[in-house]
Amino acid sequence: MIIFDNVNMAAVTDPESEVFEITDFTTASEWERFVSRVEEVLNEWKLTGNSTRKLSKEKADYSNGTWEEKSQEINFVDFTFSMTHYALVQENENDTNTELEEAPFPLAMQDLLCTKNDFPPRAHCLVRWYGIREFVVISPGPNVEAIISESKCNLLLSSISVSLVNSGCQVPMFVQIQQKWRRLYSGECQGHGVHTEFEMVHLRKVPSQYNHLSGLLDIFKSKTGYTIYPLPPINVAIRFTYILQDWQQHSWPLQPPDFDNLLGGEVGVEEFGKLPFGACEETISELHLSTTWPELTEGTVLDNDVYSDLDPLHAPHWALRIKTVEHPQCLLGDLLTDLFKLRGRKETTEEILGRGSAEEEGKDSTISSALSRLTEPAAPVPISKLSVSSMVHNARRHIQRHRLNDESPLGIEELNCILQYLFPDAAMDKTENQSAQPNSYGKSQKDQNTDDLFIQLKSAPVESLTHRLALCMCLVNSYHGGLRAVAYLWQEFVLELRYRWENNYQICGLQEELPDLRCCLLHQKLQMLNCCIKRKQARDNICNTPERSSETASQNVHQPTQFTATASSSQITAGSPGKSLDSWSDSEEEFFECLSDQGDTETPSMRREKDGSKTRAEGRMHPCNNMTLLNSSELLFIPVTQEPAPMTEDLLEEQSEILAKLGTSAEGAQLRARMQSACLLSDMESFKAANPGSVLEDFVRWYSPRDFLEEEIVNETSQTILKGQLSPRMKIPGNIWVETWENAKAVPAHRQRRLFDDTREAEKVLHFLEVQKPADLSCHLLPCIIHAAILKLKEEEASENIPSVKNNIQKVTVQASKLLQQFNPDYSNLQDCIDFLIAMEMVIAQYRSLKTKFAIAEAENEEQRENLRQFLNSLLEDPEVVVSGAGHGKIGGIIHRLFVNVQESANLDKEPGQKKNEERKLTEGDSKNHDFPSPAGREILLRTCIPRPAPYSKSLPQRLFCVLTRDEFRLVGAFSSDTSFF
Amino acid sequence: MDDDVLTTLKLLIIGESGVGKSSLLLRFTEDTFDPEQSATIGVDFKVKTLAIDGNKAKLAIWDTAGQERFRTLTPSYYRGAQGVILVYDVTKRDTFTKLENWLNELETYTTRNDIVKMLVGNKIDRDDHEVDRNEGLKFARKHAMLFIEASAKTKDGVQCAFEELVEKILQTPGLWESESQGQTLRLGNQEQGGGRACGGYCSVP
Ligand SMILES: Nc1nc2c(ncn2[C@@H]2O[C@H](COP(=O)(O)OP(=O)(O)O)[C@@H](O)[C@H]2O)c(=O)[nH]1
Ligand SMILES: [Mg+2]
Repeated sequence: MIIFDNVNMAAVTDPESEVFEITDFTTASEWERFVSRVEEVLNEWKLTGNSTRKLSKEKADYSNGTWEEKSQEINFVDFTFSMTHYALVQENENDTNTELEEAPFPLAMQDLLCTKNDFPPRAHCLVRWYGIREFVVISPGPNVEAIISESKCNLLLSSISVSLVNSGCQVPMFVQIQQKWRRLYSGECQGHGVHTEFEMVHLRKVPSQYNHLSGLLDIFKSKTGYTIYPLPPINVAIRFTYILQDWQQHSWPLQPPDFDNLLGGEVGVEEFGKLPFGACEETISELHLSTTWPELTEGTVLDNDVYSDLDPLHAPHWALRIKTVEHPQCLLGDLLTDLFKLRGRKETTEEILGRGSAEEEGKDSTISSALSRLTEPAAPVPISKLSVSSMVHNARRHIQRHRLNDESPLGIEELNCILQYLFPDAAMDKTENQSAQPNSYGKSQKDQNTDDLFIQLKSAPVESLTHRLALCMCLVNSYHGGLRAVAYLWQEFVLELRYRWENNYQICGLQEELPDLRCCLLHQKLQMLNCCIKRKQARDNICNTPERSSETASQNVHQPTQFTATASSSQITAGSPGKSLDSWSDSEEEFFECLSDQGDTETPSMRREKDGSKTRAEGRMHPCNNMTLLNSSELLFIPVTQEPAPMTEDLLEEQSEILAKLGTSAEGAQLRARMQSACLLSDMESFKAANPGSVLEDFVRWYSPRDFLEEEIVNETSQTILKGQLSPRMKIPGNIWVETWENAKAVPAHRQRRLFDDTREAEKVLHFLEVQKPADLSCHLLPCIIHAAILKLKEEEASENIPSVKNNIQKVTVQASKLLQQFNPDYSNLQDCIDFLIAMEMVIAQYRSLKTKFAIAEAENEEQRENLRQFLNSLLEDPEVVVSGAGHGKIGGIIHRLFVNVQESANLDKEPGQKKNEERKLTEGDSKNHDFPSPAGREILLRTCIPRPAPYSKSLPQRLFCVLTRDEFRLVGAFSSDTSFF
Repeated sequence: MDDDVLTTLKLLIIGESGVGKSSLLLRFTEDTFDPEQSATIGVDFKVKTLAIDGNKAKLAIWDTAGQERFRTLTPSYYRGAQGVILVYDVTKRDTFTKLENWLNELETYTTRNDIVKMLVGNKIDRDDHEVDRNEGLKFARKHAMLFIEASAKTKDGVQCAFEELVEKILQTPGLWESESQGQTLRLGNQEQGGGRACGGYCSVP
């Protein structure tokens, strides 16, 4: 390493550099090869020739500007180095080029003296030490040992020197020597007959004679050979940094919530819908206050071993930065992480809870419910189905709980609390009627208007059953028994669903009639199950209601007068004892039985009439625009039709795959059409039943009006009349529409074969749910949890108003939305999103910590509060924030106070009873000794421009940057000399 | 799948029944016009490989029926589509006025808002126009769609409509790559510095 030869530092030289090594580093030719390789790269990067850039007069933004980096591997024998070019992207580069003028010396040399860019808050260390905006570094590649021996160092430096001269490159070039952590560089810059050497000293301790400005000035002077007279002034910039890390004055404001309480009886069930939030520990570990004296001149300030003028309180420039705790424990973050981790568990619910437990419980439920139905005391008021449900239900649960009490991973209280939260209707007032149920969460409807987040994230509406389930699972996973409890709760949940299906009770909290494809699959499945329950209920109603008013149950439109005949028939059906009331029930067998029942009771005379207008019309909904049938004067009626089958996205995917597989040939297309014609056939049959005597043209006028072409024609009696006919494509003989029409029999929708088999579909859904492992479940619920976490963050942010968080919530929402919309979400990218959410929780916690520390609540007025708020926000966003007014501004006062408090309590510990305060007030200038701890770091920057090496040489920039900390003493020098006149 | 196919795109054709959706698709995929084309039931499906700027894109195109009763089916096909062709018949004003409905439905059922939309005014070979080209243009501009007038019968504009649509999709970042990594998330003060071999950006102490 390079030693400052003019200063006798032998006594303190680092011992590591003393290691003796036999050097067989290279041969001359290897060396030459290396040099030419470096030159080649410099040429490639176009760094050769005059520096065309001009020093901009304004402050360059070293911290926030863009730094360009280019890297290239180069070899020296079998040593791999990486050569990297760093350059600040100059925004107005083009402008400066136009007024190009010959610079007196290379840009880097001008940078050495520029005082505009001192102490950038964030920059490469060479930028900080030398103030340069462009340089090249050669450092040992990864996994390559450091350059330690002096001979190797010298060899490398000479290589640099030669390549710089050969290529005419004016960009300074450095080599990194010694261990990487020491950040030791040596380098050189050449150009215009001048030459700058970059040298460093790095020691573990500050030698006492250099522990102040005057000692450092001595080094600088002797190194530069400061011999001429009159002496040009030495420019001095000083920055002291003080650390505050003892927070005992402010204990961390947030107490972690008491989770037992969350579930206990006292806290309402609603508590289950809330996610915990905040950090459990301090999030800000240190405050760093940097006090700067930017432009001093030697002689205007005194700082030696006995006295110092440098009082931080009066420094003209203050800046503050915070150091945050790396991974503080945060509640929401932990919750998300735990759920995400669940994804890795491969166990099935059965494996977790023990084989057979599900079946056993299933059996148990039917027995117990039957039992309790019998034993339930008769209620004084007529009770609705639902209240029975809840009673039966509670009884079942009770028995079950009793049995499982010991082994169950969740306590009875907890489980009941959760189930009540998930199925609030089960505990509802007995007089509440069922129809009120599905709408029981009107609140969410309002939310939805302002919040379509669930669409973006493909989750489920807030307050929906699915959303609430996600919250519960998350809480149970993190706080109430983990994997086992999740499996157990899931099993209970599915049991409840099965119970509802079997007993015809709707599931509340699912809103839409049909599966909403914009939501997550789990939500769709639950909606599907609900659809099945509703259809089953509707079927039962048709058969149960004495007046068959709800033939149109699903449409809620009916003309009782139309149904006189069938009404009587159903009365008979309903009244016949011992008959199954489920007329449209589960198996096809039963279905046909039901049909024949109805057939038997149909008025025979009507049935036997020959085809024609006299046939009884069935299943009419309402007339269609007062149209009449083409072949009679009867009104054209829109029939009651079967509702389309509800579909979840996986079913649709399956279906579209099947359809696509048929290929693109004409036959394929034909087959595809035929496969989808069941609905058309059903509609045609309903139409025929509702409109006896109708023809295809009639059907088309209702169903596909654009395929019925009407023309005005003038008839024999000169009247214009409308004459209609089928479109050419409908007239094609044997086309599928004609064919289907011919095959369609007049059968009203309610007597047709069901297009949608709710029994089968319900069983399919229940089976799907039963086989989901906790890991699958965590994937299903992840969108809802991310949704909930985003809402929580929004809510917490809103109470603080932190613009960066607000912005980032937006960003993460967009990102998560992209990921969750994909058919198979990329979980590693989702992990990034989750980490990002966690980071935001941390930032809010940090902000809250700062808020208490800076006592924002005690601000004198709104304006001050706002200033403080902005300041704290900047602290969170920027690496370093200027304190306006330095030690004498409002914020400076607060910071000062923080330091004083800590110092006072420290002094109190040391010398209890002593009155330090009075002492301090004696000398203002001496206050640093008491209000602030001794600086953790001191940076002293010395600059001048003097002729070197001889008094008649050109006057050239000289610079020495000194870093003094508790365990580091670093001198970073750049010394220029005239190579043409010496 | 073919090796040289850059990507598979899912397209959708919607609009009132009878405006010529199936005919446009037949023209595009097989370059014919079939006056005997029967009215679509449910959805139909065709594929075609298209070369754009030397890149091959495989198009899976879903054709829909358009009648009210079949509509409950179609929304499921909106999912995952990168492009939509919305067709009206220039000789039938009501097919034009119904466009708003179709757009609403599209909005409701597509989750991504960067789906590329193309408006096609079909049957320009006929001379009983009821909708002026400018009206179509205006509508397309209002709803940020591509626009072209075409005839499945004379093949005017058909190829062009599909090509433009695909080109636009390929130009829309994140729409067709399977990975939409895009920007990485970064948060204020966090996770800066560090990681650099030289110890990089430093401050004191
Ligand atoms: N003159 C003319 N007729 C067309 C054109 N495209 C379709 N048609 C006719 O319009 C009717 C409906 O076409 P089709 O493709 O089945 O419409 P879709 O219901 O939208 O699929 C058919 O009779 C076609 O022959 C066209 O560009 N020009
Ligand atoms: Mg069609």
